[in-house]
Amino acid sequence: MTASNVVFNIQRFSLHDGPGIRTTVFLKGCTMQCFWCHNPEGQHPAPELRYYPDRCIACGSCVAACPNHAHELNDGIHTFIRERCELSGQCVATCFPRALELEGRRMTVQEVMDEILPDKLFYELSGGGVTLSGGEPALSRDFARNILRQCKEHGLHTAVETCGEAPWTALEAMLPHTDLMMMDIKLIDAAKHRASTGQSNERILENARRLAATTTPVIFRTPIVPSVNDSAEEIRAIASFVRQLEEQRTRNGGATAAITYEIMPFHRLAAGKYASLGREYQAAAIDPPSKAKMAELADAARGQGMETLMQGNGM
Amino acid sequence: MTHPTVPQLTYQDRIDRLRATKLRHTQEKLRELGSSDMDDLPVILPPAESRKMARVVNGSGVLILDALFKDYVPKSNHPSGGIFGARACGENIRALLDLHPPYVDPLSSLAGAYMSHFTAYRQPAWNPDFDYSHLHENQRKYKLLHGIGAVQHFCQDEAIGLTQGWGGILGRIRHYRTVNLDAEAQELYDGLEHMVLGLQDWISRHAATAASMAEHETHPQLRQNLMEIAAINERLVNAPPQTFREACQWMLYYQLAGKMYNMGGSLGRIDQFLYPFYAPDKQRGLLTDEEAIFHLACHFVMDTSYTQLGGPDAEGNDTTNELSYLVLEAAHRLRIPLNVGVSVGQNVDPQLLRRGVEILFEDRTGMPKFLGVDNTSAGFARNNYPIELGRLRAYSGCHWCGIPGREYTVNDCVKVNLAAVFEVALKDMLADPAARPSVETLWSFFVKHLRCSVGTVAQSLDFHLDHMHRVFPELHLDLLCYGPIEKGRDASHGGVEFYNLGIDGAGLATVADSFAAVEQRIEREEHLTWADLGRILETDWAGTKGEQARLMMKSTPRYGSGGSRADFFGVQVVRTFTSIVKEKPTPHGFNMIPGIFSWAATITMGKDVGATPNGRQAQSPISHGPNPDPGFRRDAAPTALALTVAAVQPGFGNTAPMHIELDPGMAKSRKGIDEVMALIRGHFAMGGTQINMNILNKQTILEAHKDPSTHPDLVVRVTGFSAYFASLSPEMRQIIVDRIITQE
Repeated sequence: MTASNVVFNIQRFSLHDGPGIRTTVFLKGCTMQCFWCHNPEGQHPAPELRYYPDRCIACGSCVAACPNHAHELNDGIHTFIRERCELSGQCVATCFPRALELEGRRMTVQEVMDEILPDKLFYELSGGGVTLSGGEPALSRDFARNILRQCKEHGLHTAVETCGEAPWTALEAMLPHTDLMMMDIKLIDAAKHRASTGQSNERILENARRLAATTTPVIFRTPIVPSVNDSAEEIRAIASFVRQLEEQRTRNGGATAAITYEIMPFHRLAAGKYASLGREYQAAAIDPPSKAKMAELADAARGQGMETLMQGNGM
Repeated sequence: MTHPTVPQLTYQDRIDRLRATKLRHTQEKLRELGSSDMDDLPVILPPAESRKMARVVNGSGVLILDALFKDYVPKSNHPSGGIFGARACGENIRALLDLHPPYVDPLSSLAGAYMSHFTAYRQPAWNPDFDYSHLHENQRKYKLLHGIGAVQHFCQDEAIGLTQGWGGILGRIRHYRTVNLDAEAQELYDGLEHMVLGLQDWISRHAATAASMAEHETHPQLRQNLMEIAAINERLVNAPPQTFREACQWMLYYQLAGKMYNMGGSLGRIDQFLYPFYAPDKQRGLLTDEEAIFHLACHFVMDTSYTQLGGPDAEGNDTTNELSYLVLEAAHRLRIPLNVGVSVGQNVDPQLLRRGVEILFEDRTGMPKFLGVDNTSAGFARNNYPIELGRLRAYSGCHWCGIPGREYTVNDCVKVNLAAVFEVALKDMLADPAARPSVETLWSFFVKHLRCSVGTVAQSLDFHLDHMHRVFPELHLDLLCYGPIEKGRDASHGGVEFYNLGIDGAGLATVADSFAAVEQRIEREEHLTWADLGRILETDWAGTKGEQARLMMKSTPRYGSGGSRADFFGVQVVRTFTSIVKEKPTPHGFNMIPGIFSWAATITMGKDVGATPNGRQAQSPISHGPNPDPGFRRDAAPTALALTVAAVQPGFGNTAPMHIELDPGMAKSRKGIDEVMALIRGHFAMGGTQINMNILNKQTILEAHKDPSTHPDLVVRVTGFSAYFASLSPEMRQIIVDRIITQE
């Protein structure tokens, strides 16, 4: 089955989404709406228009091209009226300064594989491979599974980054072709989780338990977001939950595949993305956690008996 | 020996102070001479009272402001005012050496520094009696760096000097003078003898200076050092070096003389020719590794020449040894612009690569660079040489290597500006009433003019080899080559065994992107006509319509994006260039070897070319080496870059080096180091020949670009060479900034 899906980025030489040199494929569409999300362009499943006013040379090509009059040029000043935009993409084709860009394009599995395979030698030399990310890859499960399957046929290491908020069957369908799962656990408290992400975490925690019952290596991860989960108490609760899963896996037949835990700091690099998508960045006022705070939280997690890695840089 | 009240200086203290002195010299040069887009030459200014500044053409053919000794009056032997031939050059370099003050720094274990370039006085550089006006039309039409008058750029064998010493070399010159009695040989011997005698005198004055400084030095440790320098130098006037320190001292004089004479002198395989001094000293307890590192650092602070570590011997066995690591360590502790290349190959010690990558990220000075020795050796063998010979080629210059003492190359001196050739082809096609403009027609015009430009280079090289010995012979490199003394022939005139003349294509991405842009926008989409394009390029994209057209042409999928038409054209251009270069030797039968490299001449070569269809504005720089232009992919993926550059290797032993900038955050852990090593190994496994890698912090570069004085010690690898960022022209700094600014 040659499914196609909207892909919003393919990042080659990606070093932060699993072991070694990787290509990360970002699939569009997510079930959660975390207000701090660093890939906001991955939330909606359909392509979106990004607009960068500083690149615009006010040539007026888009005005002529748009069938819905979403662009106006008055006194040499271009205005984009996003509400009128129906994503025909016609303006993008004429916008050579790249002030207008379509975020996300529908790709076939083969097209994605054509981007993945040239770097095969680098994956092999570095112990790397391919990571599916998003958005939430489990939402595009046939597409995701087909990419993973083809990667395995080419002998590539595969990883999936998931928020966990997806039907278990969708996650389960990917597992036979996945060498490493990376799942976020952002909060243990369901109400707080809903308030910050738009979704309850019940299904996430349930999926985490089910994942722990498999033999696939899993990295559970928590993005540390000040005002959301940057307290020792929150992190202790998550670490304790992960520790139980680790014990559960060890008990169930002594599977050698590891369950590990990582925390990573929130960063504000996504501000420009929100602006270009015409969305409000609600995390604009949040400062990234300090290095000391990250170390403190890592210690809190370790206090629960859970070995904890710190990824990325605090400030 | 320790003085009770004076603290003992550690080697690192002394290295730190030597670095600070170098930085002071660099800033003084920047103040007096202005910026410079070339190698960080270790020249120091003559004392203020004895210098004057003059605008001169340097050894690379670039007009620069240079410092001259005001009391040195060269003796011309020609109505043009020039100094031509071995005898005159020898007499004049000797006179310059006679006048050149000694330089002894009590902190260094080695004496010597050079203060002036002989080429600055030797003007004009070419003897007008050797007229090549018959070649001018094509040389100018194609904006060729044609190689006539090119100096040095081949590798001597330092081992010859280290085993014979100046006395031994002089003895050989005097012996062979009685064997080869023809006029050409006799004149060469005169020149060579002047060079050696001048050097011997210069060295003995260093010995005297050190001895006299020792008398006045109050710091016991430094006094002892000065006395040692005096003794060593007195010996080295005639005798070959016996110890590791003496070998470093000998080598430094040789290198300084080369820099002074014609900027020549590469180090080549330093870990090999110094090893016979290192190992016995170490074994006999005369030398510790810390001392060896210190002596090497004292050399490097005064000589930043190119050197190779590790790599195969003739049989293909790795030669990496303890000294390879000590050289790396010396460069690491010094943290100045240096050009140390680490060999990477199937048999080469992988730990050397690991240590190299660690230092690269720790120091962020673009050192070391990485050499794909398997591919350069195998490629060289494709010129009908045994691979054993290819393995002996030593990394010796920005992007090139040569067989030490046996091969004359003019590497890096000859450039075919592919963008200029493209421009001629396009204009020719548009002006030809019989031509029906199309990409296919344009390609055939391009090939025609490319062949013509390579043909002109070939004739130019023959002309060069006919006459150079009577213009500006290689009196310095000849001394350490096999043949010139024995035969009485300059290296440029039959003195050495092999002649393989490097010829590089430059501006690859500019041309590949231009072909792809016209194909898509004119032929496929019909946004423009050929006539429109001609008009727009003529006006350099003037007006809003012009700018719109420029952005349209610029936004076609680029060379480097992977699988694009521009990638296709990139490969086609290199294949065609290579096959034209290799289809025949020069008319006189000399082998040419193609490479893809622009050096820092991207700026000067760009000034010769009008607007090009890839959206490039008139007179702006052409693309760099085999690299795609910045912005070639949204993710700027290094693996995509590595694949692109690996696919455009000419494959005959000369390089198309990949230039890459990485973020310092990438290798904070062993994981990151492993990944960068995999990137390097992967590029070489796919055919790459050399990697220049910069670890640059975006914020630092932006600050330094805005105000260079905020980061006076920031070192960057500009192209094959590295330099202080603050010493570069604003234009070159902008190019480096553009490389690291990404779209997102």
